[in-house]
Amino acid sequence: MNRCLLKISLVLIPVLLVACTATPKKDLALERVRDELTSLKSNPELAGYAPLAVGEAERALRNAELATGDELYRAYLVYMADRRIQIARTMAEREQNEQALDALKQQHSAMLIKASQLEADQARGEAERARLLVATTSEEAQRAREEREAALANEAESARAAQLSAEEADQARRLAESRASEADYARREAEIASQQIDSLTRQLENLQLRQTESGVVVTLGDVLFASGETQLVDGGLSSLEEVVDLLQTEPNKKIRVEGHTDSLGDAETNLQLSEQRAQAVREALISLGVAADRVTALGMGEDFPIASNEDEAGRARNRRVDVILLDN
Amino acid sequence: MKLILMSVVCLFFAACTSVQPGPEIFDLADQAILAAEAVGGDEFAPVEMRFAREKLASARLGMEKEKYEVVVYLVEESEINSELAIEKSRTAKTRRLVNELRKSNEELDASLRATFGDEFK
Repeated sequence: MNRCLLKISLVLIPVLLVACTATPKKDLALERVRDELTSLKSNPELAGYAPLAVGEAERALRNAELATGDELYRAYLVYMADRRIQIARTMAEREQNEQALDALKQQHSAMLIKASQLEADQARGEAERARLLVATTSEEAQRAREEREAALANEAESARAAQLSAEEADQARRLAESRASEADYARREAEIASQQIDSLTRQLENLQLRQTESGVVVTLGDVLFASGETQLVDGGLSSLEEVVDLLQTEPNKKIRVEGHTDSLGDAETNLQLSEQRAQAVREALISLGVAADRVTALGMGEDFPIASNEDEAGRARNRRVDVILLDN
Repeated sequence: MKLILMSVVCLFFAACTSVQPGPEIFDLADQAILAAEAVGGDEFAPVEMRFAREKLASARLGMEKEKYEVVVYLVEESEINSELAIEKSRTAKTRRLVNELRKSNEELDASLRATFGDEFK
């Protein structure tokens, strides 16, 4: 009996060993399913999702790998393992989709928040623009009102002037009538009238304005000073009033007073003369109300003529004082 | 010794012939198919639905031909296909949601860009 058992054992042991060690003949279906699981687990986008389902798939695959014998049973286990892997994969995909969905929802609300911020900004900007518009409009209205008032005042002034001149003309006419026989008188009056006209045109000429790079230049012609003098002539001060009116329209601008001479005489003397004259004009301007710190005086001598020094008319134009309302 | 031999023989026979399963073996597989249909399996996972139905039909055929062992396998294979169909349908629905929301975000982005210009990043 013992010998018999031994014999059986000797036969059985190699058989068992063969069964255990021998690799089962290559099962292509099982191979494919194993690859499938490996690819799922190594997919960086899906790995880590649905761990339980992956665990079940692994267990099903192990069952299929360990199964021996019955071909039908093994095929069934391999099939089940394959389905388990498919289930794990689709669950992992779903998990991934859920996360994408969350991210998209966040993106959506972030956009809406940003949009409402921009909308608020825009509304604020529009409110600001509207406020400015209102301010500008009321400023304009104010200016228009002032202009209208000034125009009305002007009108009244002109009417009064017209009235006055009409009266004056009337008087003159009566005077002329009463002295119609006195031809001398008439002639003298005519002369006086023509002189007045002459001085008027000269005054206008004196106040010539021109725009230069440094600013508006008011050129005071050859009427303020007697030849060689550095003091204003009588009445020179009053002829500067108009200039001061102009200067006071821009109270924040600095003023430069430049004296110029013609080329007759010694250049050094001319320079001194021009400087003293400029100084005199400066002081006159200050005495007429221009702030002292606005005004500087400068002698330019004979070096900046605006006309020819060859004839008297040109020289007269060169003898001048420029009052410059500086742009900066 | 005799007892051991008897039980081994009994086990062997039991494995080979396998007893006839009751008709209730199909119930779970039928319910699984219904559940898969309910979540849109025919739309989202038509292949798996077809497998589930075919396997179940084969199982019923096996029952008639008294191949009981195969019947058990086929029923389980039908069930797992229904399960897969359910999972696939649910995944397809989330994918659809993702695509819809992505498209809607793109449209929103475009319209906000049109409204606010480059300020909108």
